[in-house]
Amino acid sequence: MPRYRLLVNGRRHDVETEEDTSLLWVLRESLGLTGPKYGCGVGVCGACTSHVDGEAHRPCVVTAAESEGRHVTTIEGLSPRGQHAVQRAWRELDVAQCGYCQPGQIMAAAALLAREPDPDDDAIAAALRDNVCRCGTYPRILAAVRHAAGLLREAR
Amino acid sequence: MISRRTFLHGAGAGALVIAIPVPALAATGELAPTVLVRVDRHGRITATAPRPDIGQGVRTVVALLVAEELAVGADDVRVEQAPGDTDRFGSQAVANSTSTRQLHEPLRRAAAAARCLLVTAAALRWRVPAGECTAVDGEVCHPRRGRLPYRALVADAAAIDPADVPVTLTPPHQWRLLGRTTSGRVDTADIVAGRARYGLDTRPPGALVAVVARPPWLGAKPDTVDDRATRALPGVLDVFPLTSPGEGQGGIAVLARTTHQALRGRDALRVTWRAGTPAADSRQWLADLEAALPAQGRPSGPQRTYRLPLLAHAPMEPMNATADVRPNAAIVWAPTQDPGSLRTALAQQLALPPASIRVEATLAGGAFGRRIEPDAVLEAVACSTRAGAPVSVLWTRDDDTRHDSYRPMSVHRLTAVTDDSGLPVRRSHEVVTWPLTVVPPFADPAVIRASGDHFPYSVPGDVTITVQPAPLRTGFWRAVYAGQFGYAEECFLSELGTRAGLDQVQLRRRLLPADSRLRRVLDHAAARAHWSRHPAPGTGRGVACHLDYGSAIAVVAVADAASRRVLRVHVAVDVGVALHPSGVRAQVEGCVLDAVSTVLGAQVTVRSGSVVESSFSDYTWARIDQTPDIDVTVVSSGADIGGLGELAYPPAAAAIASALAAATGTDVTGMPFGSDVG
Repeated sequence: MPRYRLLVNGRRHDVETEEDTSLLWVLRESLGLTGPKYGCGVGVCGACTSHVDGEAHRPCVVTAAESEGRHVTTIEGLSPRGQHAVQRAWRELDVAQCGYCQPGQIMAAAALLAREPDPDDDAIAAALRDNVCRCGTYPRILAAVRHAAGLLREAR
Repeated sequence: MISRRTFLHGAGAGALVIAIPVPALAATGELAPTVLVRVDRHGRITATAPRPDIGQGVRTVVALLVAEELAVGADDVRVEQAPGDTDRFGSQAVANSTSTRQLHEPLRRAAAAARCLLVTAAALRWRVPAGECTAVDGEVCHPRRGRLPYRALVADAAAIDPADVPVTLTPPHQWRLLGRTTSGRVDTADIVAGRARYGLDTRPPGALVAVVARPPWLGAKPDTVDDRATRALPGVLDVFPLTSPGEGQGGIAVLARTTHQALRGRDALRVTWRAGTPAADSRQWLADLEAALPAQGRPSGPQRTYRLPLLAHAPMEPMNATADVRPNAAIVWAPTQDPGSLRTALAQQLALPPASIRVEATLAGGAFGRRIEPDAVLEAVACSTRAGAPVSVLWTRDDDTRHDSYRPMSVHRLTAVTDDSGLPVRRSHEVVTWPLTVVPPFADPAVIRASGDHFPYSVPGDVTITVQPAPLRTGFWRAVYAGQFGYAEECFLSELGTRAGLDQVQLRRRLLPADSRLRRVLDHAAARAHWSRHPAPGTGRGVACHLDYGSAIAVVAVADAASRRVLRVHVAVDVGVALHPSGVRAQVEGCVLDAVSTVLGAQVTVRSGSVVESSFSDYTWARIDQTPDIDVTVVSSGADIGGLGELAYPPAAAAIASALAAATGTDVTGMPFGSDVG
C-alpha cells in the first residue's frame, strides 16, 4: 500500500493506506482523531468538517493523497484546551444537544470567522447551511457564532 | 446525655422529612446510599446516570440533582453511565419522555441521604445537634465548630446506620442549581473539544469492521453471492450471510480490518436477490390506506382528510454497534436507548446468564426512537461471534436512511358538528394507519389510541382506528402516534376556526377549562406572540396546543407567504417544575426544528420497492437558514414534573402548517405542506 506524509494538527504522520481512502477514515482510524465525525461519507452533512490550509473542508470526500502537503486541522487541533472563541461561545450558550455534529459546526464557524470577523446572520447561514444538525440547535448556533465574533473583537 | 437515636431524630425538625429505606452501604469505606450516588474517601462525588444520553440531556439533569442535594457545584459531580442492568437500575429505557420524571426523586433522595449522613457524622464528632450543621460547598459547617470537608467525614458517615438518619430534601426555594438557567450541559467541554465518545468512536484493541450489503428492495433475500472480487481486496477477512432478527433485514456482511476496506469490499460484491416486494410504491400504500377508511354517509358537517408520509429517524450518528463476544462472556458498546433490555435480549441470543454480559451505553448522536431497537447490536454480536474478535458494525448513511424502522404513513378523516357560531360541538376522527412492527403491542388499536389521541378540548366525539398490515418496518418516532393524531386534530380545528371567521386563540380558550394548565400556557404563548395585534401583511399565524406526558404546551407560529418560511415560533410550556431550563428550551427547539423539517418537505418515499431517499441531500431536513426565531417561555405551575422530549413536536407541526395555510390561503391537507405525499 502507498504511504502518505500528512501534517495534521501541527504534527507529521506517515500513513500507509489505499490511495482512495478518504482522509476521514485516515484521521479516525489511522491517527485516532475521532473528533471529525462520520455522518454521511458523501460530503452532504458536514459532521466531519475540518480545516485544510485554514479553510473548511470535508475529509470524507478528500483522499489522503490529496491531503499531502496541506495543513490539516481537526477539532482536536483547533485550540490547545478548547479555548478558541467559538468553543467558548458554544459552551457559554449551551449549544449542544447530542453534540455529534458540533465539531463540524464549530470548525465551519471558526473558518468563517477567520475570513469574515463580523458576519451578519445571512453570512453565518450561508457558511453553515450545509452543516446538518438533526437535534435542531440552529438557533443557538446562530447566537453562538455572533457571540464568538464578539469575543474575538474583545480580544483584538 | 441524650441517645444518638433521639438526638438524630431531633435534627431537621420542621424541614421536609422523608424516611427512606436505604440499602446497605458499600463495604469499601465509600458512602453509597444507593447505586445512584457515592462519595469516595477523597470526598469525590459520583452520580450514576441509569439511562443513556441521546441528546436529551439526562446526564446533566442527573448531575444537577445530585449536586443540588449534596451542596456542591455541578462540576464537582462526575457522571458515570450505568451499564445495562435492570436488576440494579430498574427500567433504563429512554422512551415516552420518562427519564426525568422517573429519575428525579430516587436521585434526589440518594444524594440527600448522603448529605444527611455526612452532616450527622460531623455533628457526632463535634457533639452538636445536627440541626445546627449545614452542608455548603462540599463541607459541613457549624457556626462555632468551623468546617469539615466531606472527605474527612466519609468513613464516619458510612458507618452510621442510615435507618437512624431522616433524609431531608432541599426545598425548591433553596435551590442553587435546579431551575437556574446558568447551568450548561455536563458533556459540553468534551463535545466542543472533540473528545466526547459516541458509538462510532469505540474501537477496542484488535477490533475489525463489518458493513452489510442490505436488500436493494423491501424484503429481498440474497440468492447468489459472488464474493471473489471482494475477498481479493486488501484487508478483507471474511464474507458471510447475516440473518438479522429484524424482518426484511440482514444481508451479506463484509468483515475487514478498516472501514474503508469493508466499504470497498461491499462495493465489489456481486449479489443477486430474490423475493420481496420489488414493485412496492408508497403512493399506492397511501391510496390503500385511504381506501380503507370506513364507508360513511353524507358528512354532517365540515370534513377534511389529511395524508401523512413515512418519516425516517436519520440520527446524525448512523446506526452502529461494537461487540466482543467470548466463549462465556460478551461486551457490547452501543449508542442505545435501552441498555437494560438490550442485555436481556443478548442473554437470550447468546444463551448466557445476564451477569456474563456487559452492555456499555455510549453517548448517542441522536436517536429519536430508533435506538430502542437492538438490531445493530445483534448484528455486531453475530459478526463478533463468527470472527472470534471484537467487531464494529457500521451502517452507512445510505443504510441508515433506507433500512430504517419508519414512522408509519397514516390517513386521518376529521369531521365536526358545529354550532351556529362555527364552534365544534362534536368531533369524529377516523384514522387508518399501520402498526409499529418493531413493537408488537402497537398493533392494537387501543394502544395506538393511547399513544396518539390526546385531544384536550371539551368536544365529545369518536375516534376510530383501522390498522392495516405494514408493508415495511415501522417503529417509534419522536411523539409516536401523537405526532400524527395531534397534527391532524389541530390543523382541523384551525380550519374550522378559519371557516367560521373565529379567532384561533379565543376558539381554543372557549374549549378549554378556565384555570387549566393548557389555557394558561396558551395565554402566555399568545401574549408573547402579540396575538391581539394584526399579523404583518404577507404573513399568517397558526396556533396549537398539546397535553401529554404530564405537561402542557402551546405554540404560536408565524409564517411568510412569499418565501414559505417560518419566521417565528412562540412556545409556552409547563412541565410542572423545570429542573434544567436550558435543557427544557433545547428540547422544545429541537421539536420545533423537527416540525419545520417535516412540514416543509422531509419525507420518505418508496418506488420500485426501494426507499428513494439516501442521505441529507434528499431527505431534506431543515438547515440553519430555515430556522425560525424560537421564543420559549417556561411556565412553572409546580405540578408534578412532566415529560418533555417529545411534547412540542405535534403542536409545533400543526401551528406551523396552520400558519402557512393562513399566510398562503391554502388548506392543510397533510404533510408536508402543499406537497404530494408518498
